[in-house]
Amino acid sequence: MTDEPELDPNSQQAKEIAGKSPMRIALGRLARDKIAVVCALFVLFFIICAVFAGPICSLFGVSLDTPLASERVDGLNSGLPKPAMGPPDGPFTWDHPMGVAPRTGQDNLAYWLHGCRASLMIATTAAIVASLVGVVVGLLSGFLAGTVDKVLSFFIDMFLTVPFLLAALTMAPILNERFNTSDNYGTIQKVSLIVILSLFGWMGTARLIRGEVMSLREREFVQAARVIGMPTSRILFKELLPNLAAPIIISVSLMLPAFVALEAGLAFLGIGVTDGVSWGQMILDAATPLFFREYPQYLWQPMLGVVALVLSLNLLGDAIRDALDPKTRR
Amino acid sequence: MFAYVVKRLISGVLVVTLVSMAIFLLFWYGPSSPAQPICDRETSNRCTQAKLAVYEKTLGYDNPVYEEYGKFVKGIFIDRTLTIASSEYECTAPCLGVSFRTKQPVKEELISRMPATFSIAIGGAFLYLLFGVPIGVAAARRRGSVADKALVSSFLFISSIPYYLFALLTWLYLTITFEIPLFSDTGYFSPISEGPWKWFSGLLLAWVALGIFGCTQYTRFTRGAMVEALSEDYIRTAKSKGLPARTIVYKHGLRAALVPVVTIFGIDFGTLLAGTIFTERIFEIQGIGWWSLEAVYGKDLPVVMATALFSAVVLITANLLVDIVYSILDPRVRLS
Amino acid sequence: MHVTGDAVLGENKKERLDSMKRNKPLALVAGAALLTLAACGGGSSDDGETGGGEEREFGGQEGGTKDAERQGPAPEVEGAAAGGTITVYLPGDPGPDTLDPTGGWSVTGNSIQQALTSRSLTQYIRDEEGQPVLVPDLATDLGTPNEDFTEWTFTIRDDATWEDGQPVTAEEVAFGICRSLDSEAFPSGPGTEYSKHYFEGAEDYEGPYTGKDPKCEAWDGISVEGQDITITMSTPFPDMDYWGAFMAMGPAPLGNASKPPNYGQKPLANGPYKVESYKPNEELVLVKNDQWSGDSDPGRHQYADEWVFKFNQDQAKVDEIMLSGNSDSQTAVSTALGSGNYNDANSQLGERLVQQTSQCVSTLTPDYNKIKEIEVRKALAYAYPYEDVWISGGEVPGVTRTYANSVMPPGMAGKKEFQVDGEQIKYDPEKAKELLAEAGYGDKPYEITMVYYEVDPLAKDAQDQITKGFEASGFSVKAIPVQESPYNIWLDPDNKVNKTLNLRGVNWCSDWPSGSTMLPPLLKGEAVYNTAFFDEASVNEEMDAIATMPIEEQADAWGALDERIMTEYFPIIPTAFRNDLFVFGEKIGNPTGDGSIGAPNYKDLYVMQ
Repeated sequence: MTDEPELDPNSQQAKEIAGKSPMRIALGRLARDKIAVVCALFVLFFIICAVFAGPICSLFGVSLDTPLASERVDGLNSGLPKPAMGPPDGPFTWDHPMGVAPRTGQDNLAYWLHGCRASLMIATTAAIVASLVGVVVGLLSGFLAGTVDKVLSFFIDMFLTVPFLLAALTMAPILNERFNTSDNYGTIQKVSLIVILSLFGWMGTARLIRGEVMSLREREFVQAARVIGMPTSRILFKELLPNLAAPIIISVSLMLPAFVALEAGLAFLGIGVTDGVSWGQMILDAATPLFFREYPQYLWQPMLGVVALVLSLNLLGDAIRDALDPKTRR
Repeated sequence: MFAYVVKRLISGVLVVTLVSMAIFLLFWYGPSSPAQPICDRETSNRCTQAKLAVYEKTLGYDNPVYEEYGKFVKGIFIDRTLTIASSEYECTAPCLGVSFRTKQPVKEELISRMPATFSIAIGGAFLYLLFGVPIGVAAARRRGSVADKALVSSFLFISSIPYYLFALLTWLYLTITFEIPLFSDTGYFSPISEGPWKWFSGLLLAWVALGIFGCTQYTRFTRGAMVEALSEDYIRTAKSKGLPARTIVYKHGLRAALVPVVTIFGIDFGTLLAGTIFTERIFEIQGIGWWSLEAVYGKDLPVVMATALFSAVVLITANLLVDIVYSILDPRVRLS
Repeated sequence: MHVTGDAVLGENKKERLDSMKRNKPLALVAGAALLTLAACGGGSSDDGETGGGEEREFGGQEGGTKDAERQGPAPEVEGAAAGGTITVYLPGDPGPDTLDPTGGWSVTGNSIQQALTSRSLTQYIRDEEGQPVLVPDLATDLGTPNEDFTEWTFTIRDDATWEDGQPVTAEEVAFGICRSLDSEAFPSGPGTEYSKHYFEGAEDYEGPYTGKDPKCEAWDGISVEGQDITITMSTPFPDMDYWGAFMAMGPAPLGNASKPPNYGQKPLANGPYKVESYKPNEELVLVKNDQWSGDSDPGRHQYADEWVFKFNQDQAKVDEIMLSGNSDSQTAVSTALGSGNYNDANSQLGERLVQQTSQCVSTLTPDYNKIKEIEVRKALAYAYPYEDVWISGGEVPGVTRTYANSVMPPGMAGKKEFQVDGEQIKYDPEKAKELLAEAGYGDKPYEITMVYYEVDPLAKDAQDQITKGFEASGFSVKAIPVQESPYNIWLDPDNKVNKTLNLRGVNWCSDWPSGSTMLPPLLKGEAVYNTAFFDEASVNEEMDAIATMPIEEQADAWGALDERIMTEYFPIIPTAFRNDLFVFGEKIGNPTGDGSIGAPNYKDLYVMQ
């Protein structure tokens, strides 16, 4: 993050548009940005899919249940779906609007919707946790300065040098061994994924906040608060934090698409979510030469899900950053 | 300058030490018994408590953790002999242990994997610059034109796609759909024993995927840096002096613009050298990233540890070098 | 040997599992089925290579035959030519961890080394009908037992040589056999199962390395007189001649030259090829051994100049190469075919696609102590959705997996074609519910606890099918995901997960074509792989009794016992017999399988010139 935006309520520009909070200004700018609106609609679509995955499934009459494979796929035809199940060998059918998976006959729509849910849930939670950690570390580091800052900065740098993928790969089997007998194994797996993502995702936020705090610290209103003897915690949370809304939003908007992509990427490598309800695992299953040749939709469905979500989150994030940046002029 | 380098070196060593401790502890306390995987493997899944105890004892897992970590560190500098059950393995310094799967010294395997990963990294990084920088410069010169806008938005689009999906699609389309013979046999082939052409064609697909994806980012970096550089006062001065546009752009503008690009490039190149897991997985190139994945699947703890350490060392070194180079390239930066 | 296929109760594994060699669980190919097998050791069979057509069926199979008179050189393969390099792709198969002949107990390692580099007392050849025949190798005949099979004498031929030109001596053979008793140095070697169990005094002898007895002087179960080696047994061992076909029953250089683990990197060859280079899990290159003489060897040939074995290959990539017919594939062999490509391969390749029974059976093993009623065990058999499991596990029903009626695989001597319930047990949830009700469990679901290998998406999908079938049949299922080989859990009596299970599984392959390598390992009380914990005194006694019967009667006795166990107790649910598919390049001559071990017939392949 080289271009840390400076959000300063006392700046020249903010005074010009007096009467509006910086957030309202930013929202107004966003609403005028066509790309941002389209992306926001896309993101909204995915959120709706994720939140209402269950009802949408019952609306279409599909479910995550495993059918007997031989009812839906043809074992002598490479395990591809029977023609009655829709593509690739049959016509579209409302019974399975997105077709069924080869080999297992699971319904693609149900898995897609629930994969969307898993993806967004993990990414959102991890982004929130990571920002919390990042904000706390950044605040402490930036405000206390001195030795605390040196130590914390060292840890920020250290975590940045640990290769994330390798760390995740290393921890996955260990976590599994600890918890595989638990009844909540599926949940624990997701929680540990969130922990891993946040453990290696907070550094960017911390750096951003640290820089921001360092410049705010010398401001009059902070100096004033100090002089009147306000306790440090109060200064941090009452005086500084409200001024950090923009960088926090920006860092979350950067993290979300990255985490969506990483969640699917880890599932693609076979760690992360392993219960099959994940876009990454669907991609892994579909990315064989045979299925790609005979049944490309099977790959495109989860692939488009990941790409569209990551892309719209990324572009929306860019737009938010621009909107929040007082330097950009329209 | 010298003091700065020393300071950075010390902190680098400190980071490596801490990372190695963290990894060591993770493997020590993480699994219920760190000797379990090798015991299962060697005994055909008939690892009884008594046998497990033998493995734990010979691998030193009944000693305190700091003692074994001490031995590990000592092994980096002095040859040691490792014992696994009843077999002894010589391990020359720097000793990174013996692979649980192949029983080969980890160091030697690591070295034998390096050419593949380094080939990918060098080729990919070369393409980043080869295409990224000139296109970025060209776009900056024509800033605001239709071509510039189309380029910027299409590149933004590509670089927003997760890299592994981009690589996967590259592989599926070029080898499966279009069946381009040039790309049919991906993998690493030694340029010496199998010939340079085989080496080249085996890696080409990986380079293409890495190169296209990376050059979109470098185009954006370069364009941004160039736009900024061209708006500097000294460029205006040069223009008013009547210098030819070519000289202004390439001699004065590009020089300044390259500084941030080189910085990012250094870090990216380090990341590539540290192991390109997705690239090696998708194109089945048996380099360090591929090897570390295999080690994770096979619970080959010494190898996982070695690859993690290796990546950390490479990344730290890359960071350090970048900072030093930065100070040389940009006279405004004074290191302190 | 033994166990094969790693997966959940077996359906989906690419891996041979004898030793926990984990295959790479998630290659990009996850959808493809690999059929590499796991065992080692013999079995008679046929590879029904009925050529091109749609229907591939398994040729008639009969028990293995023996020919003690066979002498070198081996008859020339018709049309064979010398020269060329044969590349063998082994998709999803990491290959052996060591090349030490004493430590080898995997289909992959043994099939390659026994055919090409490492000779032993006896060996198999493939006869004109495709049947494996046991013939002499380093011994001049198939050995001479005494009356009750407690003493075997082999005469070592004097014209065999090592790759360095030195003759292979009887002392070296005796030393090699002695090494197989060191179960610390070779914990996953076959000696731990056979030498240790049958050889006199083996129990108390720790072996030349662990016992610090480098010349093997402390073990007197073997004696050498001139060219004669005599091994004494503690229990009758009628199958010693078959056991002699394992490379572990071959020579090793005396002293430090063969000290493990270094010897496993580059063992001294005495077969037609020697090791040029070996990268474990990656590549093995063999080149001609010019010291080998065809006259000394009744079974092997030396046609190709060089063999390159590429382990751990990506199934999809290998299939692409083999089906493309490009120049790389013409002199290549693949030991597996992805199930998705079966149709294409079947129509395109003709006789270059060889289907080979692997002498293996996949089973489910209900815990005999927890699931006491035979009705419940049968209900499980009816509740198992066989074809659905095969399909979702990436197998081709009827091709790579076929319905099984008992533990002994087809083609094994004495095997009886019977059906426990009169007809083949297939998926039938209603029948399963009836059986459960009969046993008094009609009211609420009968609880089943099992594990599955979650790292492999195919194993997970197969488990979903099993769960589905069981739940539709009146069971409730708790399936515990594990990230290690399920055998690690099943075989560890102290494992806390294992203690909760009431349904396990084993995939087992015979070591040689006799019921003695199928029934006792799986169903004798206390046997390691008896994960059902089936233990009936009368069955145990009969197993011991058969070993002392006259040799001609043993085969039928095993067959009869197989039937008796299944009909009376039904302690184990055979879910499938397993078959392998091999793909041969256009220029590979004599594309055939080796029925003794379930691998390509390396001994007789050549490159067409």
